[in-house]
Amino acid sequence: MKKRSGLGLILVGIALGVGCGGQPGGEGPEGAAPGTAGEDRKVTFYLVPKKKGLPYFSSCAEGARAAAAALGNVELIYDGPTDGSPEKQAAMIETFALKGADVIAVSPNDPDVVGPAMRKAREKGVHVITWDADGVADSREFFVNQATAQAIAYGMVDTMVRDLGGAEVSADVAIVTAYLTAANQNIWIEHMKERLASSASQLNLVAVKPSDEDQKLAFSVTQDLMKAYPAIKGFFGISSVSFPGAAEAVRQAGKTGEILVTGLATPNSMRSYVEDGTVKSVVLWNTAELGYLTVLVGEALATGTLSAGATEFDAGKLGKKKVEGDQVILGDIMVFTKETIGDFDF
Amino acid sequence: MDRFSKSSRWIALMGRNRAYGIFGLITLTVMVATAVSPSFLAPANVNDLLVQAAPIVIMACGVMVVILTAEIDISVGSMMGILAATLGVLTSPRHLDWPVPLAALAIMGLGAGMGAVNGVLVAFGKVPSIIVTLGMLTAFKGGTEFILEGGWITDLPEGLRFLGTGSILSIPISVGVALVVVGFTGWLLSRTSFGRRVYAVGSNQTAALYAGIPVRWVKLLTFTWSGFLVGVAVLVSAPQLSVIDSGFGTGYELLVVTCVVVGGVAISGGVGTVAGVVMATLLMTMISTVLIFLKLGENATYWSRSIQGCFILGAVLLDHWLRSQKRGWGRGES
Amino acid sequence: MGEGGIVRSFRYWHEIVLLVLIGVVFAFAQMFEPRFLQLDVQRELSTHIWEIAILCLPMTLIIITAGIDLSVGGMMALCAVTLGMLFQRGLSPWVAATMGIGVATLCGVLNGLVVTRIRVHPLIVTLATMAAFRGAAEGLSLARPVSSFPEAFGWLGQGVWWGLPVPAWCFMGLLLLTASAVGLSRWGSYCYAVGMNPEACRFAAVPVNRVLLGLYAFSGFASGLAAVLFVARRNTAKADIGMGIELLVITAVVTGGVSIFGGRGNLLGMVLGVLLIHETREFVSWRWSRDELNFVVMGLLLILSVLLHRWLTPANRNTS
Repeated sequence: MKKRSGLGLILVGIALGVGCGGQPGGEGPEGAAPGTAGEDRKVTFYLVPKKKGLPYFSSCAEGARAAAAALGNVELIYDGPTDGSPEKQAAMIETFALKGADVIAVSPNDPDVVGPAMRKAREKGVHVITWDADGVADSREFFVNQATAQAIAYGMVDTMVRDLGGAEVSADVAIVTAYLTAANQNIWIEHMKERLASSASQLNLVAVKPSDEDQKLAFSVTQDLMKAYPAIKGFFGISSVSFPGAAEAVRQAGKTGEILVTGLATPNSMRSYVEDGTVKSVVLWNTAELGYLTVLVGEALATGTLSAGATEFDAGKLGKKKVEGDQVILGDIMVFTKETIGDFDF
Repeated sequence: MDRFSKSSRWIALMGRNRAYGIFGLITLTVMVATAVSPSFLAPANVNDLLVQAAPIVIMACGVMVVILTAEIDISVGSMMGILAATLGVLTSPRHLDWPVPLAALAIMGLGAGMGAVNGVLVAFGKVPSIIVTLGMLTAFKGGTEFILEGGWITDLPEGLRFLGTGSILSIPISVGVALVVVGFTGWLLSRTSFGRRVYAVGSNQTAALYAGIPVRWVKLLTFTWSGFLVGVAVLVSAPQLSVIDSGFGTGYELLVVTCVVVGGVAISGGVGTVAGVVMATLLMTMISTVLIFLKLGENATYWSRSIQGCFILGAVLLDHWLRSQKRGWGRGES
Repeated sequence: MGEGGIVRSFRYWHEIVLLVLIGVVFAFAQMFEPRFLQLDVQRELSTHIWEIAILCLPMTLIIITAGIDLSVGGMMALCAVTLGMLFQRGLSPWVAATMGIGVATLCGVLNGLVVTRIRVHPLIVTLATMAAFRGAAEGLSLARPVSSFPEAFGWLGQGVWWGLPVPAWCFMGLLLLTASAVGLSRWGSYCYAVGMNPEACRFAAVPVNRVLLGLYAFSGFASGLAAVLFVARRNTAKADIGMGIELLVITAVVTGGVSIFGGRGNLLGMVLGVLLIHETREFVSWRWSRDELNFVVMGLLLILSVLLHRWLTPANRNTS
């Protein structure tokens, strides 16, 4: 009996040990509560993406790590929900706040769900900022804004209009989104509809279909849409999974050049489609700079060099950045085309 | 032995009964869809449908054999993900750059190996299969993330892409492979002693044990087979797309189990045929395409998940009704 | 044989295993992250688990009857959407919440009716209704969220009463009710009997159909309650709540030693299972801040807890 339970304990030890092995040398901060500021205390900085495991966020994290290394006094931890669940994101924010974070930078996957947790963290004295996507009012101090939801949506519609030949061209288009309930995508869709209905375009939106963050489903949904609506001339793939899925469907149907696909994704995953013309433009921004700026803003808040009411922020190697109200502006969205995509590798 | 084959014939008949019911449902659905938009039956669409169904059919063939022994395998979704990630890392020129045939063998071997681990834990560790495979489902999901480390594989070599997009004699490779797997599984279950043993273990494990059937080894083999087929499914489906992402295969475990049980395989083991499973898979993959072809308008998109659920329920209830018509009163337990 | 006999006849080996594992987690926490064990931290982290714990109550009983309910997430969604839409049309959130729970209970009754009257395996029924209910929630709400509930309603999910979060009191009240129903009335033994041999039960005049119908309705009710607490806690009612929660709930229940084949398991084991899952999950994310590690540890833990149980009780139980 004894032998068996001993064996069991060893096994548990191994299981937990494997866990330890997965993480080289205790990266986590050693439970320093906020307010225990010492001489050279590091700023504990949690960078929370909407979903971990997306190259988009990984490339942002690269930039953030570079900023942490440049500053020297920032202990950066990058973690978010692997499955992109807003509830889990909220739970993680609560954990980080309890653990003694100084700054939590969140890209809220669903501002409504994550909002209360962010407010609670602020009550605990944690500096909460948003990056990549904004949260609800008074849940954060600053928003590091690379592009508003409106700018992203308009940018996608405008590139589609331009690539199809101008504002007077009329054609059918469809959107392949992530989940029907995906908060960010739904805001973009609202703005896209607004732009499509305006005089800037003659495009006619025939369908919005979910791909449930499954590239294969995005692929088959696009195949079906092409056949069910033969007049479709353009697809918007508005998540980093649905974009390559939709582009692949168009390419395999032999419609490269006839049907255009555009959307949001990192250059690497779309490179081959841009090169063969299935995709003319990929809308994005400089992700590494976004991560870099986020860390700088958070650190400045924690050390008191940035506070509400500032109009300009010195972002080191990025130069001076404009502060509008409670938003630090990174710059415009970028459009990658055949000519420029070769210069980027992320 | 004679009695045994008789009962298996009876079992086969019951399973076929379910296949007939689903076939009726498929016919009805196709008729409605074609009436609304005639291009539904165009060769290109039929081709796409078959390609879409192929990997699910392949995995369903593995999972059904497991369910026939009264066990279950729900680790296939995450196993798909971790194998696809491994396949990407092995073949991508930026990573390990292995030759495609070698990587393909490795993936099939790895799949079989993972299945065997499930099998050993179930058959020799005496842990219920739902627990083993639920645990593996969760563990593999995390493992995929460790393999990809936040990046996706975006540079699959042409040779690998051919497995997913190419066709031989105008039959897409994935469909060809699915046909072979279906044929082989059908032969295995109905014509070999292994197949009879699978049904025997599922119908009455104790009786099978007394009859001298090596129950544990049969179970180990079924799990290995299931894992192997996940490997095969990954080989023909992951290269269909140019990017291998970390969410590959998420949720497929439920889809596959749905196809298997709607196809008439009893969750309590011992009953079911390949034909029913193939029919059910075709029906399940067809539904979402049909919903798009019906052009029900934007709000209908929001109801599509509900309609899919009702379809599953409908298929099961229809089958129940057909059976009760045949037998007066029937326990439609399936 | 003497010692072996005692070892074999002792019924709570699995609970002991769970306690040891929980102890191991706490010991690790004490060694590396003492702050993790502080009361205020534990209290706040506990808010992540109560809804799952509530769902575990009916799930335990249903699994004891050799059934399963995969549709809990769908019923949660339908309840949340009902609550949200009624609130938006001007109803008081309390009335709306009651209606939401009512709708979820009706969904549970529907599951129960298909399972008992048409006698389709609950796995298939609830696999289908899981999609049907969530789809209905998406369809009714057009996937739009409802937010900004009054603060008084938020108290239900975020408030603290007598030192514990309000959802904790809801869980404990429900646990007490369930435990007394199982322990003091015939319903408990009916559940086990149905799980062991439904045919024999019918001959023994056990009201099998009423037991099952009641349990699935209870599952609907609990899903509704969990959804209301969730909506109050996160201040948002939307059709995606509880997505994938069924696997978490089942994981917790089977970790608690409830046999998926029916007839075995108890509420004490379930509570320990929930506790183990919760503490492990929170500790791993507290210590390492790597979400993917959580998945690996949770998966292995599930298998390990049962494997340990098997080793401790040799030849006591066979695979099915």
